[in-house]
Amino acid sequence: MSWVFLILAGLFEMTGVTMINSWHKKRNWQSLFLLISGFGASFLFLALAMKELPMGTAYAVWTGIGAAGGAILGMILYGEPKDAKRIFFIAMVLSAAIGLKLVS
Amino acid sequence: MQWLKVFIAAFFEVFWVIGLKHADDPLSWAGTILCIAVSFYLMIMAGKVLPVGTVYAVFVGLGTAGTVLSEIIFFGEPLKLSKIILVLILLLGVLGLKLVTNEDKGAESS
Repeated sequence: MSWVFLILAGLFEMTGVTMINSWHKKRNWQSLFLLISGFGASFLFLALAMKELPMGTAYAVWTGIGAAGGAILGMILYGEPKDAKRIFFIAMVLSAAIGLKLVS
Repeated sequence: MQWLKVFIAAFFEVFWVIGLKHADDPLSWAGTILCIAVSFYLMIMAGKVLPVGTVYAVFVGLGTAGTVLSEIIFFGEPLKLSKIILVLILLLGVLGLKLVTNEDKGAESS
């Protein structure tokens, strides 16, 4: 069950990140509500997942789904740059962050 | 200026991550919540001009590096070579993103 919580936490984080774009474009209450509740639900499920899973593993998976997923959705839905260099450096930052969470 | 927002957001992120772990009285919890608000506000605002995917990756990455380093410096976590190498890779990635990001997304600059 804790893995289900962890994946939900990652999906809610993706929602939160995507709503940042939505909010800057539309400035409506729905986006702001989904932004805040997305990140809020994400933290809640992460905390639930961490009750059973090791903290480093939980953080690493959560970051991977949320930040990478958020970047991919930004490219698909909001036309953020898709050039190879940008994708390479985002992958570099996130891999290092995931590595740090696993070795700490 | 936009990048400065991301860097300050990550700086405050380190404080609230430490706060979530170590806060044990109303004052430290209030400080933790204030840091969450400041860091998310700055990160969200930077996403108005810079690509959100880039901003969020740098925010999460620098926050993680800062947290790992402060746990070594202030909370006696062991210093490992693997941590230093990963922090350096992470910083190179951030530098790379800063260099390849075009700041004219169409929104106003400040």
